[in-house]
Amino acid sequence: MAIENMAYLIPILPALAFVLTFFLGKKLPRGGAIIPIIAIFTSFVISLMITLNLLQNPEEVVSQSYNWFSILNVGILIDPLAAVMLSMVTFVSLLIHIYAVGYMSHDKGQPRYFAETALFTAAMLGVILSDNILQFFICWELVGLCSYLLIGFWFEKPSAASAAKKAFLTTRVGDVMFLAGIILLFSDIFRIFNGSIPEGVYVLRFNEIFSHIPEIAALNTQILGYQVSHLTLITLLFFGGAVGKSGQFPLHVWLPDAMEGPTTVSALIHAATMVTAGVYLVARTFPMFIAAPQSLLVVAYLGAFTALFAATMGLVMNDIKRVLAFSTISQLGYMMLGLGMGAVIGVTAVGDSLFHLINHAFFKALLFLCAGSVIHAIGTQDIRQMGGVRKVMPITFATMLIASLALAGFGIPGTSIGVSGFFSKDPIIEAAYLFGESTENWFPYVFAITAALLTSIYIFRLIFMTFTGKPRTDYGGHESPSVMTIPLMILGILALIFGALTKTSFGKFLEETFTNNFVNVDIHALAEIGKYHLASHGGEGEPLLILWMPVIVAVAGLLISYLIYGMRVIDMSKVVSRKNPLYKLLYNRYYQNAIYTQFLAVKVVYEGLALAGRAIDRGFDWLINFIGNIFTDASDGLRQLQTGVVQNYATSVVTGVSLLIILVKLILEVF
Amino acid sequence: MADLTLLTPELTLVGTGLAVLLIGLFLSTKAKKILGYLASLGILASLVLVVMSLGTEGVLFNDTLSFDALSQFFKIVFLSVALLVSIASIKYTEGNSHTEEFYSLMIFATAGMMFVASANDLMVLFVAFELASLATYALAGFEKKNPASLEASMKYFMIGSLSAALMLFGISFIYGATGTTSIPGIAENISLLLGSPMGLLSVVLMIAGLGFKIALVPFHMWAPDTYQGSPSVVSSLLAAGSKKMGFVAAFKVFMIALVALQAEWTTAFAILAVITMTLGNVVALSQTSVKRMLAYSSVAQAGYITMAFVVMSKTALAGAILYALSHGFMKAGAFIATAAVTYMVLSEKKDAEMPDHIDNFRGLGKRMPVTALCMTIFLFALAGIPLTAGYMSKFVLFASTIEAGLVWLAVIAILNSAISLFYYARVVKYMYFLPSDGVKIAEPKPYTFAMVIAAIFVLAIGFWSEPFIYWAMEAAKVLI
Repeated sequence: MAIENMAYLIPILPALAFVLTFFLGKKLPRGGAIIPIIAIFTSFVISLMITLNLLQNPEEVVSQSYNWFSILNVGILIDPLAAVMLSMVTFVSLLIHIYAVGYMSHDKGQPRYFAETALFTAAMLGVILSDNILQFFICWELVGLCSYLLIGFWFEKPSAASAAKKAFLTTRVGDVMFLAGIILLFSDIFRIFNGSIPEGVYVLRFNEIFSHIPEIAALNTQILGYQVSHLTLITLLFFGGAVGKSGQFPLHVWLPDAMEGPTTVSALIHAATMVTAGVYLVARTFPMFIAAPQSLLVVAYLGAFTALFAATMGLVMNDIKRVLAFSTISQLGYMMLGLGMGAVIGVTAVGDSLFHLINHAFFKALLFLCAGSVIHAIGTQDIRQMGGVRKVMPITFATMLIASLALAGFGIPGTSIGVSGFFSKDPIIEAAYLFGESTENWFPYVFAITAALLTSIYIFRLIFMTFTGKPRTDYGGHESPSVMTIPLMILGILALIFGALTKTSFGKFLEETFTNNFVNVDIHALAEIGKYHLASHGGEGEPLLILWMPVIVAVAGLLISYLIYGMRVIDMSKVVSRKNPLYKLLYNRYYQNAIYTQFLAVKVVYEGLALAGRAIDRGFDWLINFIGNIFTDASDGLRQLQTGVVQNYATSVVTGVSLLIILVKLILEVF
Repeated sequence: MADLTLLTPELTLVGTGLAVLLIGLFLSTKAKKILGYLASLGILASLVLVVMSLGTEGVLFNDTLSFDALSQFFKIVFLSVALLVSIASIKYTEGNSHTEEFYSLMIFATAGMMFVASANDLMVLFVAFELASLATYALAGFEKKNPASLEASMKYFMIGSLSAALMLFGISFIYGATGTTSIPGIAENISLLLGSPMGLLSVVLMIAGLGFKIALVPFHMWAPDTYQGSPSVVSSLLAAGSKKMGFVAAFKVFMIALVALQAEWTTAFAILAVITMTLGNVVALSQTSVKRMLAYSSVAQAGYITMAFVVMSKTALAGAILYALSHGFMKAGAFIATAAVTYMVLSEKKDAEMPDHIDNFRGLGKRMPVTALCMTIFLFALAGIPLTAGYMSKFVLFASTIEAGLVWLAVIAILNSAISLFYYARVVKYMYFLPSDGVKIAEPKPYTFAMVIAAIFVLAIGFWSEPFIYWAMEAAKVLI
């Protein structure tokens, strides 16, 4: 049996594991963790085999499709883009599941935990495999639901319950936009076909959508006096969905709060599932974005802004997980920026961005799992109470250091020496430079390079404050069990060498995504529609300084952190005080909570809309109750007809016959 | 000689009934449990045979029996319901010394329904109708020591006899005018009945006779008493199976034999449909017995299905036929769930009054989680919540009503659906939101098994409705 025929098992197995664990978990040791681990491992093996097959024969895209109803289908699509995502998600999820066996060992809710994470993984795999946008959306919603369940895993904690609600509601804003985009797209395609869809055409399948891009781009609507192409609208709405899921500004607020779940859940959300879904959505529909005027630029600007914005907040957080959360937002900003750079470098942008996504998955999962390991051993999340943990937990320290180097992006340009983050972040920053050169617009580049400096500062601040120096509190602690450290070491090795190993082949592989037997789009022609001017990509034309710049800022960040937090040359206590307005602004996270919760939620929505709505509701309530009472009274009255005496029943039959004859006769005579 | 293989499903079924009756004579009460399995297997075999025969057509015995997509569809409805009831009854008849009688009566009733579905002659139709009726009269009174059950059976029998007399009276008019009882034959000679007062008389008498089985207002009055008093598994057979027999007979009599009198019966059915659905839904609102509530709900559902007689388009008929199938699963499931609850109540307190009182559903979500979940699915389906069978069939039926320009009828039907949500949702509220001091109990497996199968089909028709709609369309083509 060919491996393609087993592709459907990739999401089915974890979904099955969900059911089994949910019902049988209680009876099995360790909450039935073995079931999802085996299922995800099998999924991983299948994904990897499909990926390897695709690597050798890039043309052999797996595409299976079945009629669902009328013009919609369910189907599987594994092209290079999906293949790398599948392999990454199954692999990282597998490691996190193994690690969780140790991490969750003291928790009563283990069966529920493993069931939900299995479903989470299944939903994400469903997103990746979908060959049509509707199925994509359904799985996307399932991801949202699972994140709600998992962030609120310790729902008896009020903060966890409210964080879960926040995540659900915030991403919902994006989801609604995404759905609106799908509806608009559907009606446009329907219009293009003039309402008669030929047999065997599934309108929301990606190949069908991509083949109609020029027609959709030609449809225009007047909005506020501007002619807006429907393609721009659809792509911006899709991007709205991606902003919600991938925690881009201004819908990023749920992501730091999502730390209330178990650390393994954070790792899963930040590395493998959920947040990457947004980036994947943009990458998946990239041909639409590149043909849409302005949409890619919005993606690029918002990405660059988020990268910098989140990095500044990461500087002042004291909760080890929150630092990482802001770091994720910032890195996702890089990925979006990378995709946005498709405006100058075309389809290479997808390769660059996805490369960063994969590398980020490895080192971010590693960072979270290391943080989890520290929290597990020390029992606090506040880095001010740590210090000197290196001596107690050498393996955790070593792996966390590797991950931090990867995040900061250390390496030597022009050679194959460097950690994974270096090889993936560099092309994005270089592309931003090219963008500046060709459009005279330097914002993305400046933002990206500044964010790189801050990234290096905040992550080494974390390292120095946690692992070096002397213990600031008496926390005891011990190295984590091997079921936890082995996944750390595997991820550490990958974070170290994956980038160097695959830096050239990865991009080439990904570029095949849009030219194969499933879709075959001409990116240059599409870019014409979008009025983008693609530059020829290459590192030769750039000044040496630009090539070295990311590394220079990374080293600079390390040095600054070392001086402040390692050597303590500068006394931070003066800077870190509530009196310093800049610190206050950052520490309060730009007062987003005040703006979102106090102003938007409480003032505008609750006091404004809800109270007005209540008054109207009261009126309706009265009306409804009135109508309801009529019926219940009638019901009580009519009940009396049912006497229970059989003679009456017979009378009613005979009367019924007679009346019916008269009535029918009357009606027929009159009309 | 006609091809007797067409008759194999019926022969299998009747053979099973006879075998169950005979074998039962030689078994001890304890060993009679095996009869339930045997009967279920026989019904399943018959069901498989019908499904395999899909697509074949033919007539038998001087054109008195016809086999086509319509009859096969309804046979599948009857056999599916019978199968669910039979599985659930394995628990119900446990330890009863009359098990073989229960199963053979149930099987003969089902066989009667199947012959009605195939009948191509009014006499065959009447005899088959009576076969099913007589067997169910006895079933309704199966709990011989329970006065409620006896009362249910007596009322059912008396009103049933009256209706049979009316129907026979109607048939005699038709025969008197056209000189034949063959259904296509009547259609050919219908000119003799047109314009004569006998036409209207026979139409109304036939409606009264069949309306009894369908439980159309005002011929419905036996239904609440009988459904409530009979054992729940029997109510399930009556509401989900026997009622559909009334529909298939009415389809044949009116849409094939008396199609020329369309003006008369369309008007009559329009009046009855509106009264039936409204009365059924309104009275269901204030019921405290869940079985009685379900009885009124099935009166109301009959009202919806009757709309197809008014609309008379292919889509409407397909909707009604699909509704018959969906209602079979939803209603059978709901009654079986009630049977499970009744069983629980009676096993805790032997002489409980009204074991199906809605108070006994309190906290069912905790006490019997599978039953509560399945019941929720059935109730939501009955209310017509999307992604269930009930929604799909209502959608097709109502949409066709609007398409045909009968917006007023559709509006009444939709308003009725809105009312119905109240009493369905109330049971769900009792099951999940009201506390109970009872403890979690082991759910009887045969009941659970039957419910889960029904729930799977309710959801399957809702999720993946295309083949079912296609199939109902094929059946509707036989009529129009």
